[in-house]
Amino acid sequence: MTDNIRDHQGAIAEIDDEQLPVPRHRLHGATHFLGLYGSEHVAATEFVIGAAFVAMGATIQDILVGLLIGNTLAAISFWLITAPIAVKTRLSLYTYIEHNMGDMVSRLYNGANVLIFVAISAAMITVSATAVRALFDIPPQTDPYPTSLYFVIIAASASVIAVLVAYHGFNLVAEFATICTPWLMVMFTAGGMVLIPSLNETLTGYTTLASFSDFISLAGTTVFTGINAEGEPGIGLVEVIGFAWAANTFAHFGLVDMALLRYAKKSIYGLCTATGMMFGHYIAWISAALMGAATASIMKLSIAVVSPGDVAYYALGATGFVIVVIAGWTTANPNLYRAGLAAQAVFPTIARQKVTLAVGAVVVIGSCFPFIYRQILPILAYAGLVLVPIGGIVFAEQHIFPRLGYKTNWHRLKGLKDNKPALLTWAICLVFGFGLDALGIIYFVYLFLPTWVVAIVCYTLLAKAAGADKSYPEAEQREQEFDNRVKQYHARLAAEENQVPVKDSSALTKIIRAVWIIIGLIVPAVLAWRVLFNSPDLYEYYVNREVFYDVTIWCTLVYFVFAWWDLQRSKALQRAGQPADVAVAAK
Amino acid sequence: MQIKLCQSLLVAITLAVATPSIAATTLRIATVSNPDMERMQGLSAAFTSANPDIKFEWIVLDENTLRQRVTTDIATSTGRFDIVTIGSYEAPIWAERGWLSALDKMPEGYDVDDLLPTIREGLSFNGKLYAAPFYGESSFTMYRTDLFDEAGLEMPAAPTWDFIRKAASAISKKRSDTYGVCLRGKPGWGENVALITAMANSYGARWFDNEWRPQFDSEAWAGAVSEYVSLIKDFGPPDAVSNGYSETLQLFKHGKCAIWIDATVAASSITDPKESSVAGSVGFALAPDKGREKGSNWLWAWALAISSGSEHQEAARRFVAWATSRQYAELVAAREGWVNAPPGTRKSLYQNPAYLEAAPFATMVLASIEAADPEHPTVDEVPYTGIQYVAIPEFPGMATAVGAQIAKAAAGKISPSEALKNAQWVTGKVIKRARFLKE
Repeated sequence: MTDNIRDHQGAIAEIDDEQLPVPRHRLHGATHFLGLYGSEHVAATEFVIGAAFVAMGATIQDILVGLLIGNTLAAISFWLITAPIAVKTRLSLYTYIEHNMGDMVSRLYNGANVLIFVAISAAMITVSATAVRALFDIPPQTDPYPTSLYFVIIAASASVIAVLVAYHGFNLVAEFATICTPWLMVMFTAGGMVLIPSLNETLTGYTTLASFSDFISLAGTTVFTGINAEGEPGIGLVEVIGFAWAANTFAHFGLVDMALLRYAKKSIYGLCTATGMMFGHYIAWISAALMGAATASIMKLSIAVVSPGDVAYYALGATGFVIVVIAGWTTANPNLYRAGLAAQAVFPTIARQKVTLAVGAVVVIGSCFPFIYRQILPILAYAGLVLVPIGGIVFAEQHIFPRLGYKTNWHRLKGLKDNKPALLTWAICLVFGFGLDALGIIYFVYLFLPTWVVAIVCYTLLAKAAGADKSYPEAEQREQEFDNRVKQYHARLAAEENQVPVKDSSALTKIIRAVWIIIGLIVPAVLAWRVLFNSPDLYEYYVNREVFYDVTIWCTLVYFVFAWWDLQRSKALQRAGQPADVAVAAK
Repeated sequence: MQIKLCQSLLVAITLAVATPSIAATTLRIATVSNPDMERMQGLSAAFTSANPDIKFEWIVLDENTLRQRVTTDIATSTGRFDIVTIGSYEAPIWAERGWLSALDKMPEGYDVDDLLPTIREGLSFNGKLYAAPFYGESSFTMYRTDLFDEAGLEMPAAPTWDFIRKAASAISKKRSDTYGVCLRGKPGWGENVALITAMANSYGARWFDNEWRPQFDSEAWAGAVSEYVSLIKDFGPPDAVSNGYSETLQLFKHGKCAIWIDATVAASSITDPKESSVAGSVGFALAPDKGREKGSNWLWAWALAISSGSEHQEAARRFVAWATSRQYAELVAAREGWVNAPPGTRKSLYQNPAYLEAAPFATMVLASIEAADPEHPTVDEVPYTGIQYVAIPEFPGMATAVGAQIAKAAAGKISPSEALKNAQWVTGKVIKRARFLKE
């Protein structure tokens, strides 16, 4: 396929867009990425990861400082490692691998992705099922395996529906996910605020916090105690930093997010990932942990086993069920879709329906096991370890090879079917990384760092031996011609596509936006503020909390109706060009 | 004294050898930091000398931390703690969740039938004992005999609330330096709510009907709360809502209360001349009633339970049996006197002349404990167990909210009817959510 595309002598327009670099006129500005990363990293996983830090026994000081450092490192990794390669190549990693590493690496890589995306999808569906279980009077699932046949039925049914939705209605759910971000941010924060007084009362007998040091004291005594679920001293600052950094290893060092950042005008937009890191992986994690601890206290359960559905219900009332189901499904949906695509790439000769069905069946089974969602943080860390060698290989090709005078695309220039140095490097790195893990020399969340370095060194040496330092004039000429044709095609495309952004300043749109911002977001935030800061005793707390519960569910309904309406109007506007009542403004 | 100590040790050895020996085992015991438990820790050498194959690792924590730590350990079945100290409130909840091992195969000589039936019942679930009582208490009426004599009053063995009012009124009129009656006023599920719930039981009130509908809108609750508020306002100390058990104990010991209705555990303190200025003039009676079939006496126990996740079940059972045995009480008595023996758990203690002599209030304590029935705490049927509490996980939160409302009524900030209306609302909301999730 690699050579077919590059050797394509017909119209470039016939080539799938995914196989070509992103044209300049489709690039996005910083605001796009600020919003995109905000939404990507506020998901149902946050409920689970927040509680996981509690169960692992981090202290509040380590959490506040460690998450800050770890997430800063993650944002810097996106900026300095992922974004420059994405901006330089303008390709997704999948396409890059297909073009530069051959069929075998591509298949293996996609195979690994199938497993990872299946695990994430299954975990998120289980999270959704925990919310629904209360409606059917099913006991909490506190064991690693399902203990109720009804829970199995619920989780499996939810999976089947999610698989069907991902298969038939991916675009609809993906579109819906785009409007969820502001609401998810407000709800995650509000949930923590609503349950803090209850938690504080169990500790101090008072519902109010007088200062930030009170909050630190509360969180340090009840949530981030420094003692893990086994009663032993828990993880420290270094481990917290590592978990925060490694939670997205596959995306930054592993370069999976080239798929998103290839649309960035400048590589510095990699820093826009900070919205996701600092909200989703900082505020939302801490808030989720507080919610989990408060719910565990109310239900007389351990935070290690309290389910996201119950946590959300106690934090947000009926809205809690909505948030868990929406956050779960909007996370599961793209991962299911990715798993399906990856599986198709692994088995290209098998019918798409059969492959999707097989992936779906694995997700259905996996979603019945609460173990998977409770272990999501280690799963993500190990997933990063598996995928990071590929990131190292690409990094070597894009940053080291030019400096050494090697050809970045030597494998393609040489016309090889498989990039054996890449395959061998990946194998060595897996043995190295997991071997290091078995020896226990380095805490497992940091294994990606030496593994990445080994990948760079190994691949550089092996590729040189395989001919990366040689010249291939004919092939290079062919490449140059192809790139020129792509440029011409993109220029034509830019002229054809109406890319002048249309700004909708109609009164109706302003009203619609005011409604979803004020009623959908500000009102719940103010009510949550009132619960936290205006509840002098438990009775007043319950009064304020009930008002929050009762009003917020209606605010949620209003939010989604109006935000969806806004989105559809905006889309219609872009499709139609310029309606009479809108002003056109260049961005 | 020396002979008794030897006898106790001998029995402890007998208890130990009656069970098969096992490999060397370290038992991790989580316990609350109070004098009784610390005493047990100090005396545990007697157990280990008879059981050299067992060692201990003690984790002594304050009550809140203990609850959190033990809940986490036991809920995740990590088996970090083999033995945990829990109260009557937790025992049935945790047993229902399968977190505790049933204590139905205690070593020979434990004499489970010697346990006071009501205490045993309170620590049981579905008829099986899940926690062995270490110490038990009820509530009763404590009063100043000198002030009663002065006022020409005679305390009945089983007073009514009407009599309490009459007596408090009479003494208040005569003595300006003494409050007619002292009652817990501080809001909290273990403070004013414990007293008011037990009091309401005697009025025929209940927290919930069989369908889990709150019952604060009943006449029985109205009567109980009105009387409670009235007693506090008319005859109690000023700022009574600041007084919990500890504060009221101090008031009584300093001669400021003519009548005090509270935990039986206070008896040893107020009759101890070293601590109490009124030690020589204290009398005891049952907790008051309202002429219905239930009194206002409650029931509580601290108990030792074995985590179902423990890998040392047999060794843990041996220790629990020892620490809650009749012989342990004898060991304490031999070392520190009978008055320090853990009260309220065994019939045999109340048949022991030495203990009865050392603790003149003992028969009244026994009568109070025996009269309490946590399985049937109210006149009408209820879906819950517990006398001064409702044994459901959400109770502490909702009860503290209710307690805050009653404290407001006692402080005169709202009327009793408004407090009850608010109690009805908050209880309804909390129970609706709890029943919805149905753990």
